[in-house]
Order: sequence, then C-alpha cells, then structure tokens
Amino acid sequence: MSRTDDTNARCCADAANKFVTWYYQQLNEGKPIAQAYVNKNETLMKVGHPPAEICINGQMVATPEDLDTLWAQQRSAPLATTDKTHVHYDVHCFDAVVINKDYRFACPQNLIDIHGPNDGVRMMMTVTVSGDVYFGVSKNWKTNDDFATKQHFNDVFILVPNWEVIGKQNGKFGKKYLVSSHTYRAF
Amino acid sequence: MGGQANRAGGTRRVGPQRTTRGGGITKARPNLRTDRDGDVSMGAPAGGPKPPSGPSGRGNRGRGTAGATRGSRQSSRLAQNLNKYIADGTPHGPKSHYNNNKTTLKILGLKNSKAATNPDGGVKSLLEFLERKADKEKKVVLGRGVLDGDYVWVKANKDDLPSILHLNGYTYAGAPITIEETTEPFPNPASKVSRDAADTRQKLLAVLAKRYNPAQKLLDLSALGTDDILGSLGTFGSQSLAEKSFKALMHLAGAEYRTAEEKKEAIQAVSLANNEIQDVDQVFTLAYSLPQLRRLDLSGNKIEHLSKLSKWKHEFRYLEELHLASNPLTTQPNWASEITQWYPSLQILDGSQVRTPQQAAENLKLMTPQPLPQLPSNLRDGDLNVGSAFLRSFFQKFDYERHAVVTEYYDSESSFCLTAIPAPGRELPWKAYLKYSRNIMKLGTRTPALVQRLFTGVNFIGEVFRALPATRHPTLDQPELWLIDCHTFPNGADPLGQGGSAMGLIINVHGQFEEADASENLYGTRTFSRNFVLGPSKPGAVHPYRVVSDQLTLHDWKPQAAIAEPTPLTNTVVAIPAAPVVPVVPVAPPVPVALGQIGLDDATKAQMVAELSRRTGMTGEYSLLCLEGMANWNFDLALQSFEAQKANLPPTAFATTP
Repeated sequence: MSRTDDTNARCCADAANKFVTWYYQQLNEGKPIAQAYVNKNETLMKVGHPPAEICINGQMVATPEDLDTLWAQQRSAPLATTDKTHVHYDVHCFDAVVINKDYRFACPQNLIDIHGPNDGVRMMMTVTVSGDVYFGVSKNWKTNDDFATKQHFNDVFILVPNWEVIGKQNGKFGKKYLVSSHTYRAF
Repeated sequence: MGGQANRAGGTRRVGPQRTTRGGGITKARPNLRTDRDGDVSMGAPAGGPKPPSGPSGRGNRGRGTAGATRGSRQSSRLAQNLNKYIADGTPHGPKSHYNNNKTTLKILGLKNSKAATNPDGGVKSLLEFLERKADKEKKVVLGRGVLDGDYVWVKANKDDLPSILHLNGYTYAGAPITIEETTEPFPNPASKVSRDAADTRQKLLAVLAKRYNPAQKLLDLSALGTDDILGSLGTFGSQSLAEKSFKALMHLAGAEYRTAEEKKEAIQAVSLANNEIQDVDQVFTLAYSLPQLRRLDLSGNKIEHLSKLSKWKHEFRYLEELHLASNPLTTQPNWASEITQWYPSLQILDGSQVRTPQQAAENLKLMTPQPLPQLPSNLRDGDLNVGSAFLRSFFQKFDYERHAVVTEYYDSESSFCLTAIPAPGRELPWKAYLKYSRNIMKLGTRTPALVQRLFTGVNFIGEVFRALPATRHPTLDQPELWLIDCHTFPNGADPLGQGGSAMGLIINVHGQFEEADASENLYGTRTFSRNFVLGPSKPGAVHPYRVVSDQLTLHDWKPQAAIAEPTPLTNTVVAIPAAPVVPVVPVAPPVPVALGQIGLDDATKAQMVAELSRRTGMTGEYSLLCLEGMANWNFDLALQSFEAQKANLPPTAFATTP
C-alpha cells in the first residue's frame, strides 16, 4: 500500500474515532444525536442529497429526530422511579474504511482543487461498531454486574463529508463528516 | 503473508542505533551502582575525569552527589564491566550482574536502641551509621533498609561485605547490634498484612461463617452488637466503627465469590434485624455488595420515617420479601403502599402478600428499560435482488472455493479487514484471527498496524483468506440463522476513477458459521457480523458489481436468542408494528420478486412467475419451468438462463413476441 493510501487510512480512522467517541457518549448521557445526520445539513439537502437511511433492528426510521425519540423511548420505562438514563453502550471495537476516496457530491470546486483523492479529506467511509448494550444499569453496575438485560449491538454508518466545516479556514467547529446511512442491530 | 509483511516492513521506521559513550545523558542504572572508586581499585585504564573524593554529606546517603560526577561514574562502570568480562570470560547481562554483586543482610538490635523512636523506626540513621563506620578508606553504600519485625533487612555489595560484618557486635544508640548475611528472601512489606489485620480478618470471616445458612442462602447479620467475636474486637464501640465493621463484613462476604453471578446465587437473603439502625445510610454498602438481593429483614430497628429508608429507594430491584416490623416507621400512614412502589419485585411485605409473582415480573419489566423489538431481515436492494443473489453465491464460494471468490468479486481497489472481539469463556480460540484484527479502538489511530491490517487488492485479500480457518456457513434457506439488512446508496466510488459517482449497495449480515481450524485441530461455531459495500465493477469483470469493502467482525452474541421470530428473507420493507412513539417512513410496496429457495410460499412463487413472464414474454408455464429448473427459484439465474436459452425456445414458449 502506498503512502497516499496511508493518509486516507489514518484520516479515516481519526474521523471514525472522533465520531464513535462522540456518538456513544451522547447516547450514554441521554443527549440527542440528530445533528450528526445529513438531514440536518441544509446545504446538502438543498442540492438533492437524499435523507439518511436509518434502519434500527429492521425498522425504518424516517428522520434523525425520530431516532432521538426512539432512543429516548428505549431509555425510558413506564414505571421508572428516576429519570436517569439507564441504557449504557459499551463499545468494544470499531473499524473504518474509505469506500469512495474521490467523493464529489456538492463539493465546492476549490476543495476539489485543493484536496486530491489521496489527501484524506474528500472521503466517503463506512464505520462498523460493535459492543454490548446494558439495560437498566445502576450507579455501580460495572463492578457488581447490576443491570437487567445485556445485548450485543452492531452499528454500521456511512459517513460523508460536510463541506461547510471542511471548507472553513478554521475548521475546528462542527462535524466534518455526517451520517448518510445507519443500520443498527442488537441481539 | 510474505507480501504483506514486506509491505509492512517498508513503512516501518527504524530508529538509529543508540550508543552509549562515556556518561553524557545516559541514566544511571541500579545494577551499575557500585563503588565509586572502581576505576582506581580495579586498575582499569582511566578514561574520564578524576572521580570526586571525600565523603558525601549526611543527607546524601545512597544517592551520591549530583550530576557533575556522572561522567566519571559512567566511565568507571564501563571499566568495571570490561574488567569483569575479561576476568570471567562471560558477558554479564544487567540483571545477572545485579544479582551476583549483591547480598542480603539482616541486622538485629535496632528495636532496643534509642533510635527506635524515630519516625522511620531508626532505619535511616542506623544505615548511615553503618556506612560511616564500615570503611575509612572506601565509601560504602547500602541499599534501602526495610524494617520487618525485629530485623532490618538491607542489600549491600558483596565487595563491601567484610567491612560491614566487621561492625557485628558494635553498639548503636545504646544497644548492641548483630549483623548477619542471609540467603532468605528479602521481605516485601507492601504485600504483607499486619498480624493484627490478618487476625481481625480471620475473626470477621469466622463471624460470617457462623452466620451464613447455606440451606436458606441467608446471611444472618442480626443483632451484631451482641456477637461475642465482634464484641471482643470492640467493633461496636462507636457508630463510625460499627459502620466500618459492617463495610468490612460486606467486603469479605463479597470477596468469597469469584463472580457476581456466584455471589448472587449464594447469598439471596440478608437479615439486619435488631441492629439499632436509624438510617439505612449506615448500612448502605449492602446495596452495592448485594444489589440482586431477594429477601431482606430489617425488623426490630429504629427506622422512624420513609426518608430514613430512601437511600435504598432505587436499589434492590429484585427484592421479593421485606420485613420492617417493630420499626417506628410502621406506625405511619401509607408506608406500606409507598414501599411497595419503590421495589418493583416486592411480593411479601411484613408477611403479607402485596403482589403475585406474575405481577412482580410484569412490574419489574415496566420499571426497567427494554430492548427494542427485533424485526426480521430488511432487504432494500432494488428490483434485481443484487444483495441476496450476491450473498447466496458469496458464502457458498467463500466456504468451498475461496480463491475463486476473490477473483470473482474483488478487484485491485477492494478492501478487506476483520475485527475480532475475544470474550472469555468461549470454546474457540482467537489465535487465527487476532493477528489480523483491526480494532481501531485498541490499535489507536497512529499505528502502522492500521494500514498493515487493511488488506487492499486481490493478492492481499487472497492471502489473508487462505490464512483464515475453513468455514461452513448455513444456507440462506435457514432464515432463522441470518439477519440481513441492505439498501442502496448514492455517490459511491466510480470504478473507473474518473471522478464520477455510482450507486452502491451496503449489506449488513449477522449470522454464524462452523469453523474448522485444521492447524489447531479445533472445530466449533462462531458468530459474526459482516458488512459489504458493493459497487459497479470495472469493464471486463466477471460480475457487473464488485466488493468495494468487506468488513468482518467476529464476536460472541448468542445466535439462539438472536432472532425471535424466524421469517423468510424476502425483498420487502418490513411491516412496521404499531409503535406509538416513532413515526416511520411510508412503507414502499413490497417488490414482488423473492429470493430463490428461501422459504418461499406459493404466493411469492406465483409473483415470481408473473414477473418473469412480464419481463421475458414467456408463458406462465415456461416461466415456471425456467424458475424451477437450473435457477432453483433464483430470479437472476432464471433471467440469465432465459437469455442463454432464448434462441432455442419454441415459439409456443412465448405468450407474446418478446
């Protein structure tokens, strides 16, 4: 593998790492994740990017906001005595690969000129995440196994570039990559 | 994997050889801390500046003087090592040198000296005394002393031994001291529990043993204040001491079991009756140690109000039986209904039934979050069923003709990587997979392995496929063993690399396979998830599509529990159950083309026949023959076979001219 491919692999791993860390922290803290999906990016949606395909346990979910509602529903219990989040995702492994290193959809010309296909910027990638999800965890559930149910989960995302953030001179803020497809299974 | 290794080697950076010269910035290693005049006494050639002479200050025991002398010591060490090498003819590794050159000494008598009252027991001043008195000519350095019982243990250079043993019988701080060499192991104070602590531990364990009833799985900690052993220990002298003792008891009770599961099984009931507990805060640890407790007796305590019990409000979700009789609390209104609400599984409160077991189970379910329902496979792979046709062919070939699968479906830009999550207690080992495992979480994002373990191109993928153990996947005709989600997506990679884009198909498969690791003679079942990204292939390829990326994850989910309701894999968007909260996308009408042979019902078959008729113009009869024959209800194959045989078909085969 050439050094140029190294750049893509590393940048892809970096982006995936940031995404995975953020995503599951949000879930574990009961915070919304809708902002990570392409639906929330008006520029992309205006030029005809289809809404993100979200499929949770075989069920289609129309929008990321609905997904937030679904996760909130999963966290809640009708007779729960506390409003604390009681579902915990424990990521064991994740992996990411570039599936289109020359992604151009809605890409401003200046970014195509600046960043070649091997520069680790204009990447479409898949991220697979595996781990355990614990339902009904208590405060110290990790030390005394105090949880009601445990499942294995597998998430697959397709991430696409968010040109607004990548094109910024100071691209520190905002998500550089957005979710355009999300498939989840827990069993 | 030779090629891979070479490739990996190409990216690995080899740092310059580190060389040690003179002294410079090289850190002094403990094994080389020998006498400071070594270069002179051993007659080695003087390589560096003259070492400093004269005794170091009192506060510098064992440390020598600061940086300025480093160079000289380093050169003297070199000289020593060289000399020793010449004398013995064998090189000494740092470790052996260290061990060979040191000896252990035991010093008795410090306890009787006036120095015994020093904060450190007098060890430091004793060693300073010995270093000072040992040899007038030569500086003697002793190791760090350890006080263990009546003895002080210390390590010293063998060379210095005579001059130190010479001090045997000297008087130090008013008491005679005895010094002897020993071969006993050096004591490790950190791992030692004091005799008192060990004694207390034994007594507490005795208390637990006496109070544990294995038949009832009951730990009876009632009336602890009247316990003879605990009384003798004085643990209930004050409230804080009593709380600490309870914590210790809980800790010891938990430490007896290896897993939380074992503990849960062994201790199902606890009695804390008659302990004068005013607030459960005093015994809160119980909720941490035994969160899955089923029976608890708190009767005969001094709990006055629900607030005094509220610390345990969100604990003990499996508590079935609770006794609170003879507590002031029980005279308050509504206490029982409140308590019943707190504990979802509670069935018996003070001897009276408050819930049936069924009600309790139902209640517990409503109080804890539940996993989302599991729906069957969701295939949205378009009219041509590319996804299902690909999987059917792929796994068959992956099992029986792995070399062919690579050349057929992968090309120079395809990538493959696998991730293994070894879990303890599994039958099958992970050796064959772990060296390829590309878990970014474990590897980090800056390691060469990240690139080395991403196999790109037919050659590398072929090599790693050959190296993986043989597999046998179940056929797709057993839908209860598979969960497959797939959908098309836009803006995939252009196979020609000309900056265009193409539709792609992402397939996520969960299933299991039989594994045969011939090299290790190991056989068993393994569960996996596999994520394929398909895209159009380059001109001249075997299939119109290729694998762009293939990510295999091996883990240990339980396949039995995976799919509750086996449903035939059909190319449809699943029917959405009436979920009140989540709006779902409008369901597209089911595509009337089904997978070959996958649990097809007659209606689906009829639909397939109709569809084939429509596309080919054949009569229903011929369409049925075509699907039933070679194609074996695979729609793609049927179409292909039609195209191949079109010229040979009689005119009667066609309802209309195709």
